[in-house]
Amino acid sequence: MLAAKSARGLVAPAVILTAGVFLAPFLLLLAMSLWSQPPGSLMLDVTPTGENYRRITTDAYYMGGLARTIWLSLATTAICAVLSLPLAWWIVRRAGRFRGLILAVVLIPMVCGALLPTLGIVNLIGPLGVLNGTLKSLGLIERSWKLLGTQAGILIGLVHAFLPLMVLPLVASMDRLPRDAEGAAMSLGARRRAVWTRIILPLCAPGLLAGSALVFCATLTAFVTPLILGQGKIPTFATMAYQQASLVLDWPFASALAVVMLAILAAIGALGWAVRQALPGAAR
Amino acid sequence: MKLSAVLWALLTGAVLLFLLAPVAVLIFSAFDDGKFFRFPPRGLSLRWFGAALESPEYRSALINSTIIACVSTAISVTAGLMAATGLSRGGLKSRALVELLLLAPLTLPLVVWAIALLQIYARLGISGTFGGLVLAHAVITLPLSVRILLATLAGIDPQMEEAARSLGARPLRAFLRTTFPLALPGVLTAAVFSFLVSFNDVVVTTFIAGARWMTFPVRMYSQLRGQGVDPITLAIGAMIVALILAAVIAGELKFKWSRRL
Repeated sequence: MLAAKSARGLVAPAVILTAGVFLAPFLLLLAMSLWSQPPGSLMLDVTPTGENYRRITTDAYYMGGLARTIWLSLATTAICAVLSLPLAWWIVRRAGRFRGLILAVVLIPMVCGALLPTLGIVNLIGPLGVLNGTLKSLGLIERSWKLLGTQAGILIGLVHAFLPLMVLPLVASMDRLPRDAEGAAMSLGARRRAVWTRIILPLCAPGLLAGSALVFCATLTAFVTPLILGQGKIPTFATMAYQQASLVLDWPFASALAVVMLAILAAIGALGWAVRQALPGAAR
Repeated sequence: MKLSAVLWALLTGAVLLFLLAPVAVLIFSAFDDGKFFRFPPRGLSLRWFGAALESPEYRSALINSTIIACVSTAISVTAGLMAATGLSRGGLKSRALVELLLLAPLTLPLVVWAIALLQIYARLGISGTFGGLVLAHAVITLPLSVRILLATLAGIDPQMEEAARSLGARPLRAFLRTTFPLALPGVLTAAVFSFLVSFNDVVVTTFIAGARWMTFPVRMYSQLRGQGVDPITLAIGAMIVALILAAVIAGELKFKWSRRL
């Protein structure tokens, strides 16, 4: 055991870095979102005003972007859940000695960053890409299937990028399931489908919930994938914030957009926590 | 039963293929001879790899990325190992709270943070500087190091270090001779993941990078937004992805990385 004093000393650098450089800017952001920038000027007016928020809530462009972003996030979360359940189950029960190798494949989108896989997806789904080229040479389609610059293309990229966030919590929660649970249910006459809906899904609900929250939040704030696969034609809330901060240079307004994202994530977090408490077997 | 097992395996295989496809296409398309990739390709060649090695601007961006990633990884792993040691061996009363704080950057949205950081950096005049970039990268990689190293230290018996202390070793020496060698696989894992996150980051860096310290992902990102896919970036991207793949497969087989995350 370390003395409390030296333990505090060891923890201090990390705490100072995280609290000072990571958390403090979030608080400043709240203040900066109330500032304003007169048109045509780069000087900031620091008198607090709700103008930025009024602009977001009354402009159809931003509200439309928000609705589109929430829809994309819901769709990504749902698709990730549907794809992850069989994969996670297979990893836990069937993969055997290939488990490590398959988990390494699952980790790929996480360790390659946001950009490199997206670059591959551009060449995969582009008008002259692998998918269209294959379908055309098989004679299945005559004209290219337009995916780049559409919501479908963005969805493909988002699902790919965030699938590991769903698979890993599911694998963790399925690992904890006793192997006899399904056998016991089936010996009592339950069919496969009932085993899934009455045994496996309820017991994996915490993992599914954690994965869904992670994927939803990651999708809501993603801007690299939507900007590149949407080719700038499909504004989402995060790409709007990015453009305001990096290109338009209206920082107070970008801050307000960022605060709105943060508020939505906080609401999702609270909702997830409430659902978790309501689940059977919640932490007591 | 048999049929459903086959269907199940097919579905799983399709999902795995989907996970692999973008990276596989990226590597394949780098060998396309043409200026614009098309499938099936007209010809295959290594010319873009040659062009990539000769391009000075990409070389300097890659060197910048590597330097920034190395320095921020060193900070992240050092601070992370100190914090994990203090937390797991210190018996602090506020342990849960400190852990929550240190792991917070993993769950809070980085874009939101970057938009705030951009404005603070501009005020302080450190936007686009080496120090500013390293500080930001150290902060986003620190929670990963802390999480990996907390899990690592939890699996190491503290009694060995205590025995070394009771036999007269000074604290640092006792740590370096007992706990540290045992924690080395975890330290290595933390270092590799910190390096990868820093090296690949575009979300935060695109807000704060400047002309002097342009990183490779940020250069590639602005290129992609402006002029579309450049075959040289494909070649470099393919080499990076191939390296990452080899590292991850080796790390998973040797150190069980997926369990440490």
